[in-house]
Amino acid sequence: MNWVRYTLPAAAIMSVASPAYAVRYLSIDEAQKEAFPSATHFTEVQAGRVWKAEAGGKVVGFFVFDRVVGKHLFIDYAVALTPAGAVHKVEILEYRESYGGDIRSPSWLAQFVGKTSGSALKINGDIRNIAGATLSSTHVTEGVKRILAAYGNRLR
Amino acid sequence: MAIASDSIRRARPLLGTFVEIEVAGARRSDMDGAIDAAFDAVAQVHRLMSFHEPDSDVSRLNREAGIRPLRVHAWTFEVLQTAVELHRRSGGLFDITIAPALQTMGLLPLLKDKPASAPIARSADAIELLPDQQVNFRSTDVTIDLGGIAKGFAVDRAVAALRDFGIPGGMVNAGGDLRAFGAEPRAVHVRDPRDPGRLICRIDVADQALASTARRVELFDSSDPGCSAVIDPATQRPASLIDGVTVRAPSCMVADALTKVVMISGTDAGQLLECYQAGALLISADGDVQITSDWHQAVHLAA
Repeated sequence: MNWVRYTLPAAAIMSVASPAYAVRYLSIDEAQKEAFPSATHFTEVQAGRVWKAEAGGKVVGFFVFDRVVGKHLFIDYAVALTPAGAVHKVEILEYRESYGGDIRSPSWLAQFVGKTSGSALKINGDIRNIAGATLSSTHVTEGVKRILAAYGNRLR
Repeated sequence: MAIASDSIRRARPLLGTFVEIEVAGARRSDMDGAIDAAFDAVAQVHRLMSFHEPDSDVSRLNREAGIRPLRVHAWTFEVLQTAVELHRRSGGLFDITIAPALQTMGLLPLLKDKPASAPIARSADAIELLPDQQVNFRSTDVTIDLGGIAKGFAVDRAVAALRDFGIPGGMVNAGGDLRAFGAEPRAVHVRDPRDPGRLICRIDVADQALASTARRVELFDSSDPGCSAVIDPATQRPASLIDGVTVRAPSCMVADALTKVVMISGTDAGQLLECYQAGALLISADGDVQITSDWHQAVHLAA
């Protein structure tokens, strides 16, 4: 097989710079329904963080919302626990990343507000899917372990 | 006619990365069920082929297949068949028995009850595949790791699960190893491995798989034990000729595995790529981009 060679001037690469990127997969409400389709009622056990899922007065599980730092920015995720305190499901709710730039500025963060589920936020062009990224999920895995340690035995 | 809703995307932490699934063109309830089944398939591959899970097929093989033949799951057997074939066709460059070198470098943990053996003499018959999904290792020194191929296979299983549910189109992306299906082509951007904040090119992907690997492992988290560490079996050291590789192939398992070979052999891998109906884009250390001639039309450089 033949190969075609391109020599890229540095400027050519620079022209598509710095993909800040965020995807909102699910809202907390949607993730709750997704995790416990049979549940008729979610009671907040700890404000904004832990919910008890019930169906017909019976506890079907617990839903814990948490946030960990990825490379630079936060990853929102949720852990659904069985009534016995085991992990039922882990879902990513929102993923954000950035390289450089003023990521803490209110205007930058404002871009993420009000996005509906399933919509990908694209900055600097149409960046739908990125190959060649080994996105580490280590922090989420550690977060799930922390949640299990904190709530696994307590919520029953 | 069923009302088709918008596309939906989900992500879960699996296989040591984030696995993202996007589907479109079916009823919402069907898509939800299909996505659950697809994630279940990925989780099943993880359970079977993880080096870290003590009950996985891979761990069982590493403990016992050097002593007696073991029966493995059909999926594990399929991956081993592809790995053995790739080993033969690549002249030994693709090698799942490289695990001891990864252990020596601290990229894989040492196994309880099995000291990291000195790299054994490379051998074409280190792994014997027997009838009835039985597997035998030539010696107790053989230690395998499917880290260079199982992620791609998991993507293939997820796509198969989505199709079984009648989903007409979508994409599964496991940390850069991805596969698209359906009529609509999807744009995928490839990062510059030397500067992950920048994009090298856009590739239109339709009904095929794309896998990428880079020499630098600290793309997102330097504490992550290098998912993209590629070891040259000849030197037992990381490959250093190429900075980054993206391979296109009909299946993600083959695309994933071929990235390892191209990282080591560069443009010499042309014949092997052809044999698997695959193409590649490689970024050499000097900054040049080389693309197989069958593929360069679908690759849009960021010039």
